Parts: sequence; structure tokens; C-alpha cells
Amino acid sequence: MRQARPYSGIFCGGVSARTGPHALPLARIKKIMKRSAGEAAAAADGGARMISGEAPVVFSKACELFVAELTRRAWAATLDGKRRTVHREDVATAVHNTDLFDFLVDVVTADTAGGTGGGGHDGNGAL
Amino acid sequence: MRRAVTENGKIARDARESIQECVSEFISFITSEASDKCVKERRKTINDDDIIWSLGTLGFEEYVEPLKIYLNNYQEGDIKGSKSSDQNGKK
Repeated sequence: MRQARPYSGIFCGGVSARTGPHALPLARIKKIMKRSAGEAAAAADGGARMISGEAPVVFSKACELFVAELTRRAWAATLDGKRRTVHREDVATAVHNTDLFDFLVDVVTADTAGGTGGGGHDGNGAL
Repeated sequence: MRRAVTENGKIARDARESIQECVSEFISFITSEASDKCVKERRKTINDDDIIWSLGTLGFEEYVEPLKIYLNNYQEGDIKGSKSSDQNGKK
């Protein structure tokens, strides 16, 4: 019997029917990876790019860590506002306050701008 | 997400959606970097080491050690799983 360890899925909260021992669905992670890898490969050499079976497993845990950190920072922003419910704006605040999350600025800015997000970007800049 | 806020905290639907979008972007971001590395090294397959390397390169160094440990446990689990007849190995 496999034993629970600090980083095993079981220790973190048990096994769910939807994602097995991992907190996130591996198939969906792989789909996102293939899209991203495909774009990069097409730009570079047009060749096909394959993903090993263990890469989505690593991402499963990496995303858990990422979500935990992002949510913690968003929660801090929520508390700064004397509120108890984390909203989209808190996530945006957390992203803007953290250098590590610079690559997410467009994602959260588009969110807060509403609609397609295209309008708020050029020239005006939501910042 | 729930585990990252205290018990009296709540997470609105819009925040959950926003974080889901951030996670997708995170995966794309890391995968793109790993893919570039494979192109330079003339390899066709992105593997777990490439992902871990990319995380380190892009500023997520503190994720690297936990992931290596996680991966070792995962591989160990697979081996045990395949030996035991009453379990179906997951992979």
C-alpha cells in the first residue's frame, strides 16, 4: 500500500473520482500544454512536439502550489479591504503586487476591464 | 483555493474564474519556455525535467524541490502499484 507523504495526493486531501490521485485533471493540463507547445514549435521549426507522460503530473502539483500562493495573496488583498470574500479585483491586485506574476497582468487586466478586454489595452492601459 | 484562505473566508465565483484563467496562462507560460528549450536542444519531447527547469528559470525556484520530491513519490507509487495485484497502476 502506498503511504501518504507530505506531497502525495492522498495526504493533500484524498482521491477524487474526477482527477484520480492528483488535484487537477491531467488530460486538461496536457491539452493546454499541447496548445502552447504547438504554437512555440510552429513559430520555431514547424515540427510536431510531444509531451512525456510525466510532465502533466509535475504540472498537477506545480499548479496546486501556484493556486495556493495566488489565493493567499488575493486573500491578503481582501483583508486589506476589510472584506471576507475574495473577488476578481483581489486577484488582480495580488498579480500587480507580485513581480513573479508579471506574466498574468494581461489576463487579470482583461478580466477587470470587462468584455473582450481589447478596448482597455491600447493607449489607455488599465493601470 | 479553499485551503489557502481561513475558514471564515469565502471565494466569489468571479475570483475562481479569474484564478482558473491564471492557471491556464501559467501552464502555457511554463510550457512555452520548456518548448523553446527543446527546440534549442533539437528534442521533440517535453519531459518533466524540462518543466522543472523552466519553473526555475522563470522565477518559481521554490516550487522546484517540492516537485522533485512529488515526482519521486509518484514514480515510487507506480512501481508499488504494478507489483501489487489488487491495485490498478495509474499512469
